[in-house]
Amino acid sequence: MTKRKHPYGILSAFLVLLLIVAIISLGVGAIYISPLDILSNISGTSQNNTFILYNYRIPRMIIAIVIGASLAVAGAILQGILKNPLASPDVIGVTKGAGLFAVFVLIVFPTASILVLPIAAFIGAAVIAIILMIFSYAQGAKPHTLALVGVALGAICQAGIQYFMIKFPDNVNTTLLWLTGSLWGRGWSEIWILVPSIILIPFIVIFASKLDILNLGDEIAVGLGERTKFVRYVLLSIAVILTGLSVAVVGAIGFIGLIAPHVGRRLVGSRSKFLLPVSGTVGALFLLIADTLGRGIVPPVEIPAGIVTAVIGAPYFLYLLRREQKK
Amino acid sequence: MTNIVLKPKANKYIVAFVSVCLLIVGMVIHIAFGSSSISFIDVLKALFASDDSKQTTIIQTLRLPRAVLAALIGASLAVAGALMQAITRNSLASPQVFGVNAGASLAIVMALILFPELNSQTTVYIAFLGAALGGITVYLFASGGKTTHVKLALAGMAVHLFLSSLTQGVIVLNEQATDVLYWLVGSINGKDWTHVKILFPWFVLGLFFAFSMSRSISILVLGENMATGLGEKVKWIRFFAGVIVVMLAGASVAVAGPIGFVGLIVPHIARKLVGGDYQRILPFSALLGAILLVYADVLSRFIAYPFESPVGIVTALIGAPFFLYLAKKGRNIKQ
Repeated sequence: MTKRKHPYGILSAFLVLLLIVAIISLGVGAIYISPLDILSNISGTSQNNTFILYNYRIPRMIIAIVIGASLAVAGAILQGILKNPLASPDVIGVTKGAGLFAVFVLIVFPTASILVLPIAAFIGAAVIAIILMIFSYAQGAKPHTLALVGVALGAICQAGIQYFMIKFPDNVNTTLLWLTGSLWGRGWSEIWILVPSIILIPFIVIFASKLDILNLGDEIAVGLGERTKFVRYVLLSIAVILTGLSVAVVGAIGFIGLIAPHVGRRLVGSRSKFLLPVSGTVGALFLLIADTLGRGIVPPVEIPAGIVTAVIGAPYFLYLLRREQKK
Repeated sequence: MTNIVLKPKANKYIVAFVSVCLLIVGMVIHIAFGSSSISFIDVLKALFASDDSKQTTIIQTLRLPRAVLAALIGASLAVAGALMQAITRNSLASPQVFGVNAGASLAIVMALILFPELNSQTTVYIAFLGAALGGITVYLFASGGKTTHVKLALAGMAVHLFLSSLTQGVIVLNEQATDVLYWLVGSINGKDWTHVKILFPWFVLGLFFAFSMSRSISILVLGENMATGLGEKVKWIRFFAGVIVVMLAGASVAVAGPIGFVGLIVPHIARKLVGGDYQRILPFSALLGAILLVYADVLSRFIAYPFESPVGIVTALIGAPFFLYLAKKGRNIKQ
């Protein structure tokens, strides 16, 4: 367990950075609004762009921050529980599971209420997580097996998703956009879905020390009076809820859960007390930047945020893999 | 692991005989089933008939080329997979895991959208380019130091996610989704003799070179030092095997889209049946790959009957559990 200096300083620096990027991101899009203009709109001294800001850009910014943080925290938790630095909701198939169930709902019941989608996505994520746990425990919970089992489960879900898309080609464009992961057209109504995440993230940060105790190994954790199984299931459920809700709202955005915890670990070391909030902030920053870039590169065309995160995230992931190998 | 030379568990002549029979039966079934069923005897008659009745026409211009294509693609992908497992000495290597399929797909989708008037002959070369790029990327990132199963699978997964989200992005931004989408799952539905003609030369070339270097590959599998000691030019073998992989996998993807898992599963079955000698593994992989894809294509028609489903879904549903099994087994032998 490595300790780095000034974790609070780094955390506050990133929070400030997040705030600055958030304000800039509000200005980017088909209509450019300057930061000063944004501030005067928010403070109420000017009214010229209030409509765009309040109805489109602000809810979208909040969603980007909450989901970026959710995915990053879920990734950090999974990497902690599974003791595998390469685990993340998307690599181990949890995102694909949520995607499969959500596509099923989107395509088979297109008229279903907006509340059904997050529930379905959550169930999908949970089913995959449970299968993963069963498999990995049956085989002695080797972290490596888990990654491979996840890859295989992901492939099965992918086949299912493709089946639905081809069987019901009418909704294919919506589905495809959703599968790539995009914040396009998300507004206040979607923020209600994310309320549980907004409550859970501070909660998990407070209880982060439990994750550290688990990391010491089961025997020590039990010796320290921890109900390891119970704690592990609670943590896992939280990760699944965070992932499921995120996928329900913006679709399958990849690489945030994988990358953000690594960046966090490099910055503040592996103590969960600092790792989780810093990873969360990094994740929020990552998704916010990705969404802003996607909106700003070729307006009015929007590049889905999921593509931007993949383009940034995949090379970084390969770099990590390469570095691990050289050790 | 590939470096353990297994004793053959069955007589190779019996295996060969049974496989050929299975393939022939599979192809007849393949031709007989469809939106209008044709009895087996009629199938056999129509294959050799020269009249222009409706049945003969259906069989000779629609169903026969599709069955032939299934066999050719299955064989190509399986041999490509076997070669990859040999040169990387990693039992999870396959065109799909290595990003070869995803690379070829991205290249083709880009080409289709940027130059829509491109003919299908040229797409093959574009697919080669993409396949080579995808494969080289994963190989470079997974090859430094010790390459474990998991590293390779994860590196492949990352490149795969990367390339496929680029592909998806291209499709989303161009709104020509449905056609390309069907192709992206991997399908041989609606293919005819022109597609067979595109694939065939590469198939013959690839298989010829693969078989003629099979002895060197067997030696390579024993280990790099051993192979060098026995007078093999390891680098060149790797290079040529890589070129063959790109040729076989790239041409298959160009014709039928990225059909997954065939290249992963089949070499393992072949190894189980005929032992660890690549002079036998390669031809048997070709044979078994053809069988697998022919039967998978038959199954693909029943998944959403009466609609056709892409065969890639079937191979994924068969292949993914097999991948799980390999992951489990790989742990017991060596990480």
